[in-house]
Amino acid sequence: MLNIEEIQNILPQRYPFLMIDRILELEEGKKVVAVKNVSINEDFFGGHFPGNPVMPGALIIEAMAQASIALFYSADKAVSDNKKLYLLGTVKVRFLNPVFPGDQLKITIEPVKIISTGAIVNALAEVNSKEVARGELSFSVK
Amino acid sequence: MPGVEEDIRNLVATIIEKDPNEINPDANFFKDLGVDSMMALEILAAIEKKYKISIPEEKLAQLTTLNQTIAVAKEFIK
Repeated sequence: MLNIEEIQNILPQRYPFLMIDRILELEEGKKVVAVKNVSINEDFFGGHFPGNPVMPGALIIEAMAQASIALFYSADKAVSDNKKLYLLGTVKVRFLNPVFPGDQLKITIEPVKIISTGAIVNALAEVNSKEVARGELSFSVK
Repeated sequence: MPGVEEDIRNLVATIIEKDPNEINPDANFFKDLGVDSMMALEILAAIEKKYKISIPEEKLAQLTTLNQTIAVAKEFIK
């Protein structure tokens, strides 16, 4: 398990854009399971949507992308640190159920292909073992 | 290996968003066809998935044309 301090040693993102609270499992280069606790205090709920708070799908993708950085890091620590620039290349994600305040988002990332300058990964997001989004992301690392 | 050329042409065309018949097999991916490094990685991964093979990262630099890509794939397809 990785706590938030350890996560911040890996990820370059910071408040208010750190979308991972804890990493439950980190199997080097093979699998990452991460958690994002979704609170009504999130700024974005004020506008998305007034009186009807739903977590933006784009931010679920962001949480997936950040968990993917942890996978990339675990695959080869030599080529990855929190000073690198990570840029999404493609996103193919299907949203299956909405995410509400109080939900705990569990994100599982597994590699399709990891190289020294980028990766393609499969991503799954669940709440209470129910799939809320799944798909494939690719990103490059500079 | 019947059909490998055509299969890879179709697979590349899908990733680079071109008509399969428009791809000159010797056209340079990067200079002539607008391919970037992420698309090249996607091509590599798609070939690996289709043929259930593993191609090492060092080969990625050789994927510069359709013909070159087919040649690299054939090295690994049994």
